[in-house]
Amino acid sequence: MNLETFQNRVLPVKNKLFRFALRMLGNEAEAEDVVQEVLVRVWNGREQMDQIQNMEAWCMRITKNLSLDRLRSIQRKGTYPIETSYEVQHADVTPDVKTELGESMQHVSQLIAALPEKQRQIIHLRDVEGYSYNEICETLELDMNQVKVNLFRARNAVREKLLKINAYGLQ
Amino acid sequence: MDSSRIEELLKKYWDCETSLEEEQQLREYFNQEKVPEKWRETAALFRYFEGQKSKEVQPAFDDHLRNKIRERPHLQRGKVRYLVFNAMRIAAGITVLVAAIYLVRQEIRQEDPIAVEDTYTDPKQAFEETKKALLMISKGFGTAEQQAKKINMLNEAREKVQATTKEEEKEL
Repeated sequence: MNLETFQNRVLPVKNKLFRFALRMLGNEAEAEDVVQEVLVRVWNGREQMDQIQNMEAWCMRITKNLSLDRLRSIQRKGTYPIETSYEVQHADVTPDVKTELGESMQHVSQLIAALPEKQRQIIHLRDVEGYSYNEICETLELDMNQVKVNLFRARNAVREKLLKINAYGLQ
Repeated sequence: MDSSRIEELLKKYWDCETSLEEEQQLREYFNQEKVPEKWRETAALFRYFEGQKSKEVQPAFDDHLRNKIRERPHLQRGKVRYLVFNAMRIAAGITVLVAAIYLVRQEIRQEDPIAVEDTYTDPKQAFEETKKALLMISKGFGTAEQQAKKINMLNEAREKVQATTKEEEKEL
């Protein structure tokens, strides 16, 4: 693989990788760092990359693994516990973004951030990136059943909480 | 799109039975301006999904990446090292094999030295030497025969003794 194919085939997925990493880490700087590491790895191993059939799924998988590593090291360092880190980061949106998102969208963002790891990954890949079930299976190394069950749980958890907001105007 | 169709699609969506196209239809529908009040929160969800797609890395990302890639041209060196390592691995294997064969052959030679060695190049000389050796053997046979004749004398004596003892028995 030369620089040109790298730029044409691999680099365009950077934003997808970024969004996925961001979904898992909840921090843009960390997410961008992860994406950079993924792409550098692809570049350094470019001799072997020709054997990979689905480059995008492969990159996504590396992104997932590196993001999980990051999360673990953050957790180990004890800088901040993961559960609260999401709330902190999501409450931390700047005022202009806040208005842009609208209050209800911010709720949605929090609801999704509160989902368990796997459900969050799956709902992101399906509903934001529009991946097929097969692609999700390949990316997350799960079987079809697990993917469907987790997506079902994720969507219904979000729905339930959304309906609650709708009915009582509170979360 | 009419609302009953949306209702139907939404039901399928919550049951995870929608196809990717149908989910795209839902996103498109909820991203337009006018959405009935009853779907306000649902619309927020789909708008959120659509909005997330616009999240991108910083514009400077590519430059950073390019610098990082240039920083590490170690792959070329790594490749050479990889080739050298491989060649050395093969060479080591061959060396071990050759040494093993040599040692085993030496061992066999020591245990079982070759009986006949060609020592003469001149046929005449070889003939003489063979004649000498054969003469030595025949000489050996000659002396052995002489010794064996002595055993014959013993046999003759024993036969005579046996004959006389038989005659004595008859007489009695």
